[in-house]
Amino acid sequence: MEESEVKLIRRCQTGDKDAFGAIVKRYAGAARGAAVLILGSYEDALDASQEAFVRAWRHIRTFDTEAPFYPWYAAILRNVCISKMRRRSGRRTVELVDGQARSSADSDPILLAERNERRDRIWRAIQALSPPHREIIVMNHFQGLSYKEIAAALDIPIGTVMSRLHAARQVLKSSLSDEEE
Amino acid sequence: MNCDEFKPMLTGYVDGELSAELRAALEQHLDGCEACNRELASLSRLKEELAMMKFKEPTDVELERYWHSVYNRLERGLGWVLFSLGAIIVLCYGGFKLVEEIVRDPGVAVLLKVGIVALVFGTVILFVSLLRERLAVVKVDRYSKEVER
Repeated sequence: MEESEVKLIRRCQTGDKDAFGAIVKRYAGAARGAAVLILGSYEDALDASQEAFVRAWRHIRTFDTEAPFYPWYAAILRNVCISKMRRRSGRRTVELVDGQARSSADSDPILLAERNERRDRIWRAIQALSPPHREIIVMNHFQGLSYKEIAAALDIPIGTVMSRLHAARQVLKSSLSDEEE
Repeated sequence: MNCDEFKPMLTGYVDGELSAELRAALEQHLDGCEACNRELASLSRLKEELAMMKFKEPTDVELERYWHSVYNRLERGLGWVLFSLGAIIVLCYGGFKLVEEIVRDPGVAVLLKVGIVALVFGTVILFVSLLRERLAVVKVDRYSKEVER
């Protein structure tokens, strides 16, 4: 039987790397997939998701074991992805760079389970979204974060989470219906 | 409230994130608004489609490789700190000794002595300046900080 997350985190806080290994293995698939959607490159996603785990380990002692691990990790991963895109673009003030994901040759939905034509199309439509829209769709739908968790990760009010998510879904719907026409 | 004001709330409604008060107001509006009902149906469809999209689960081999890579980074982090600290101490000590030896050597031309001293001190100033710049960037870079929980 799998050990509970709380117990694993408590062991991590005593410096137990094996326990952290179990946490990493539990969330590696989700982390890798979310980073591919944000960064558009498999290699970059692998690097960013691993770097985010390293940062999580460094701060694991300050983590509140009452809270779930993944939303905390997802916020770290988001910061790592932004830093990576910024380094990639060579610009300091840019946040998520528009079009970077689309331009990558690795942007095929290689990490999608049970693929079909429709899902491939949705994947591509997500990658064609503007960076803030793409990010909020990934956090909500693929990382399963609540509005409250997204608000904390992005440092924005919950109302803004809802309106941004609504706008992102509108663009997504419209680009999918455009393709169908 | 009109449709334009209710529409963003449809997203919160689909996600079950509305307060009881807003949910009740929206449901009342939905009772008499066909356009918002259509919008709600299309948002629900999109949410269902997105929910069906799952990431591939990594194989055991991939997971092992992934964890090894993370583990190596954890180990190397401390290694790099010690290596950098050691390198700085050795370089500073070596530089100091080199300058001391050259300055004291009467066989070395004064111009060369000045050049070497300038070179060493210039390197130190550049190093400190770069270090300060990096620290300043880290201080104002909100994306380099971790999320407090």
